[in-house]
Amino acid sequence: MTVTIRGSSPPADPSAGGPLDHLRTLIVALPVPTAPMTFPSRDAALGLALMDLSLRLDHLARLSEQLTLVDRGHMSRSISVDVDLDLISGRLRDTLIVPGEAPDGHPSLWVPVSRYSRRDLAPVVIKDSSGEVVPRLSHRDANRVTAAAFVKLLHMLINAHEDVSAPASPIHQLRHTHQRSRWLIEAAITELIMVGSPAGQRLHTPLDHAGLLTRQGNSRAVRDLALLGLEALFPAEGGDRLLIPFARLLQLATRQYILVAQLALNRPRRFLTWDAPLLPAQHRPTPLRTLAKNALPVNREFVVEYETEIPRSVKAYHLTLEVRQEISVRRFLMSSDVDEEFVEVLAQDLESVARRADRLGTYHKLLELEMQGIASRLAELGRRRLVDLAGYEAYLARLPIPVGPGSAPPARRLSADEVIAALSAGDCSLDVLAAFCAHYAADGMQHLARSGLPGPALLSIAAGLRAAQVGRDVTTDNDPREHGAHAHWRRPSVELSPQSTEPVRVFAFMALADEAPALIENITRMVAGLALVVLGIGTFLAGGLEWLYSAKVSPDFVPEQADAVVAVLLLVPGLLLARLDLPGTKSVLGQLHKFQRMLATASVAVTTALAIAIATVQSDREMTRLFQVALAVLIFIVVLCLCEFYARRIHRGSSVPRSSRVPRWLRDARGAPGRTVEPDDFFDARGGG
Amino acid sequence: MTLPANSTKSSELARIAAEAAGTYFSSVEFTLTHGYGPSPLPVIEPDPDKEDPSAWPTDFCHFAAAGLSVSTSIWPSAMSAFSGRVQIDPVKHDAGPETYSYSGHAVPNPGFIHQSTRQVEVLITLGNTHWSPTYREALMQALVIEKLTGLAGERGAPVLHLHTPVAPVPQISRSERGDGSNERLRDAIGPCLRFSIGVDPKMSETRLDFETELAALAEEYGFGLKLDDQRLNRVRGEWFTIRGFDRERYRQARNRLFPEASVHIPKRAVIASIVGPSQPGTTAATVQALRERGIGVLAASISSMRKTTFINLVLPVAADAPESFPQWTGGWHDALPRLEACAGPRPGVAAESEDRLIGDWKVALSPAMRCSYPPSSQQTGATATGRVPYPIWLWWQLPHRTVDTPALLAEVQAALQPHTRRCEVAYAQSRLCRGDVVRGRAKLVVMLAQEHKDHAAVQRLLTDAAEAAQLRIREWLPALGRVDPSKIRLRLSPRERWLMYAGISA
Repeated sequence: MTVTIRGSSPPADPSAGGPLDHLRTLIVALPVPTAPMTFPSRDAALGLALMDLSLRLDHLARLSEQLTLVDRGHMSRSISVDVDLDLISGRLRDTLIVPGEAPDGHPSLWVPVSRYSRRDLAPVVIKDSSGEVVPRLSHRDANRVTAAAFVKLLHMLINAHEDVSAPASPIHQLRHTHQRSRWLIEAAITELIMVGSPAGQRLHTPLDHAGLLTRQGNSRAVRDLALLGLEALFPAEGGDRLLIPFARLLQLATRQYILVAQLALNRPRRFLTWDAPLLPAQHRPTPLRTLAKNALPVNREFVVEYETEIPRSVKAYHLTLEVRQEISVRRFLMSSDVDEEFVEVLAQDLESVARRADRLGTYHKLLELEMQGIASRLAELGRRRLVDLAGYEAYLARLPIPVGPGSAPPARRLSADEVIAALSAGDCSLDVLAAFCAHYAADGMQHLARSGLPGPALLSIAAGLRAAQVGRDVTTDNDPREHGAHAHWRRPSVELSPQSTEPVRVFAFMALADEAPALIENITRMVAGLALVVLGIGTFLAGGLEWLYSAKVSPDFVPEQADAVVAVLLLVPGLLLARLDLPGTKSVLGQLHKFQRMLATASVAVTTALAIAIATVQSDREMTRLFQVALAVLIFIVVLCLCEFYARRIHRGSSVPRSSRVPRWLRDARGAPGRTVEPDDFFDARGGG
Repeated sequence: MTLPANSTKSSELARIAAEAAGTYFSSVEFTLTHGYGPSPLPVIEPDPDKEDPSAWPTDFCHFAAAGLSVSTSIWPSAMSAFSGRVQIDPVKHDAGPETYSYSGHAVPNPGFIHQSTRQVEVLITLGNTHWSPTYREALMQALVIEKLTGLAGERGAPVLHLHTPVAPVPQISRSERGDGSNERLRDAIGPCLRFSIGVDPKMSETRLDFETELAALAEEYGFGLKLDDQRLNRVRGEWFTIRGFDRERYRQARNRLFPEASVHIPKRAVIASIVGPSQPGTTAATVQALRERGIGVLAASISSMRKTTFINLVLPVAADAPESFPQWTGGWHDALPRLEACAGPRPGVAAESEDRLIGDWKVALSPAMRCSYPPSSQQTGATATGRVPYPIWLWWQLPHRTVDTPALLAEVQAALQPHTRRCEVAYAQSRLCRGDVVRGRAKLVVMLAQEHKDHAAVQRLLTDAAEAAQLRIREWLPALGRVDPSKIRLRLSPRERWLMYAGISA
């Protein structure tokens, strides 16, 4: 499993060559309109306001998600938000007012509360704190106003373009003389938004089925001008200025829909809750790996990973997990990439300074300023992650079975020179960053331009920062229950990327296990009991314990009343097995108990086979050997049970989950092995944008 | 080309468009006032309609230098039918015979995305004496502005604001305390220029190249260069010195480049306001066209409000230029010959330059007006008389549609009155921010009522005056604008870095 880091992430849509390719395809394929699209100006303003608010969602003060594992492979989510309408500024509020007289005299607003992938087309019912259903804007209407918004935005961009008054330019032609081309672009945008374009798919148009159309007088000139105008409006050169933002906006509009609720203004603070569409697991580990987990005494854990996106502006985010009472949540850990953008910008700064160290060196003070800027940010990262680590250590200490420092390397005390040397070698582990933070705060890093840092060492630091994933924080479980978990993420008091509105990605790691009183304990007792029964019967029949170790066979080992022995051997395991509450195989508990169930079945199979043997075999010698074999198998099963206990002990003592979604710095700080293990289920609740 | 996963700029584009596209309109209306005197005129009616959006400007900017001032107010317009991207007309104003007002409409540019950019602020020192620029220095200043904004324009980085003259920053010696409590007081104004550009944080190479070339320019021309302290947790008003002012090299460069320019101080000036949709590279194009025609820049205030750029320049009028320059508005190309006439006859004027960016921008020109230069100390500290103008910075945040910025500034001046002999607004800027609040920053130039030569005593007096005035304003404001006292945030301080970070220009 790969973890994509923002900034170096793969293209959002690998099948599309350019950012506006879908739009271009539709411009070529759609019939040329002969009249303009008519959208009421109110719709355009509403669409723009909804788009703006839904991308930021800064009127949501708090977001809570409650996850329930329905069975293995499906997760249900209940989402609740605290909405504060006072945070929506006046002008947007005027635009969002629902037209028409409200029945109770209070005007109400259309308020976006979430964005969803267009793939999840399950019905959503929003309820408020009193349980009343809140009216929603239909998807069709939301799409219509979004289309109107894009048409308006296009119009505004054309009007503000510097070529709009240059008569020969395509922009001027689009605006004044060749309006059909503009209408075509508008129609293409509308079509794209109304129909949508799911991620990773090429648009399928009628043109795919037709030969080359070359008839004279066709609409080619209109289409060509539309494409030319699009190119002039969104030049590929310097595309990150306008082309990429516009294309990304269009992409979000075509892949997601906005969940819009109608809320009355008289109660500006509202609590809303709804059930999100059921989430299917994204991918599973290979069958061989699953088989190994199920067939070996490794005390199987069921590992679930969950990923979602939350608006950057929410102040608090709660993630709660509920499982059946029989299941324990052994580990619950949440990690967000809230500082990832900051780290990426820092790494890019480091690389740029490294490449320009010689040139900057001419202006010594400029280099010093850059180095100090970099140092202050490194120090802040060290401080933050140290706070996270302290929180994590506290979590380990308050676990039902506390985890000590274990194999974690003892803390080093580094001098300023050692810190610089370690950083230059690309070591961005937490103790180095923390030591750097301490030296920086104590004014020990005042002349960095003269130190050995500027140059290739900066490249190593950038690589080290990215590898250590220091942009990710860690939040731990604080739920006292064993069969539930809760993590409370708070927005940092100082936002390190203050201008960013990029949603924060949140990863949650949950290890579910069968903790004491666990099934394996019952099964061990049962198998041990069966072994004792076999031992007891054998000893009674042989008249002593010699049959266990001596080759001598007792002459009257075959019982006179074989029926009674058979009855005991069939009834006792049957009764014991019936008392075990074995779950269905589809459930998570079933997965956890798969191996234990196998052990129980095997032990019963052994006693049953022995019973059959007693009923049929007449030879003392064979009977003795069968008893010996049965006892050996039962003891082997008991040993397997003990292995399970040992494996459970190892699992409980593990300090950091071996997951690729747990930040690297945390794994390094606790000396965890580098190899990661794939989860049993992975749920992705991101909007698909 | 691949799409980056980041949607910050997209959401900003959506926000700009959502704010620009009101229910029925998507243009902005603005008023401009050129005049004497440092106090801005009120722009709203005495008893405004609180619900009428067009009664309350959302953004306001005031700038005063050389005894002349420009005020700009802007708000979303209820009208959208006009030809071209900008229109501007003079209006009759009853405020006084020497006040010239204009009103106009403009199409804002939603593609001017810079909220997500990293702001790089630069303080340029063009002299270490008091501020009284000659024609030659005005030309030199125009050249420096052109070069600086050209550096930004080449990289597509927008100029977020540019102001000259501004308060110089005294050198802080190492022994002084980091919180600035022992820092020497700043001069109110000096031959300095302050400007900021926005650079995408992901394009650090662009920023580094810009900074390096800036340092190279500073070395070539000898001007002093300070950059805003980019360390984390450093606030606005904290500077990192890259190069000190090299007086000799600056003088040589000035004499070499403009050997024939007059070394007299201009007595008259015109205020030119050049208005159009915001776009990177426009400031450089404007100043370049002017300088090629031998027109220097005495003072400048450039800022973008609601995605519309206002380039306000105070241009010196040559001593031998004809007397009458009436108030005028028109297109950029028509304005150039008039401005050339102001600069006086000059041989070998450059040919018509190709400035596609600002070709359809509009210009408002004031008549030639008298300049006056305020007394100022040579360097911070007490002079022989102790009559030194000091700066006081003001930061505020008020709910929108309660107290408009000119009224607030008048209150601040009144509140400082008991402590000061003179109190003027050097610049002020406010804008409507998220959550329906207006945030602003201003710099006031005060001359204390009590004359003191002792630095520590002056410092104490200034701090006391600021604190007393702050209390007084907080008491007055609720009555003035019927504003909830808990929603008023206001801070007056003789040190810029003690203000809260306001995130707006100048």
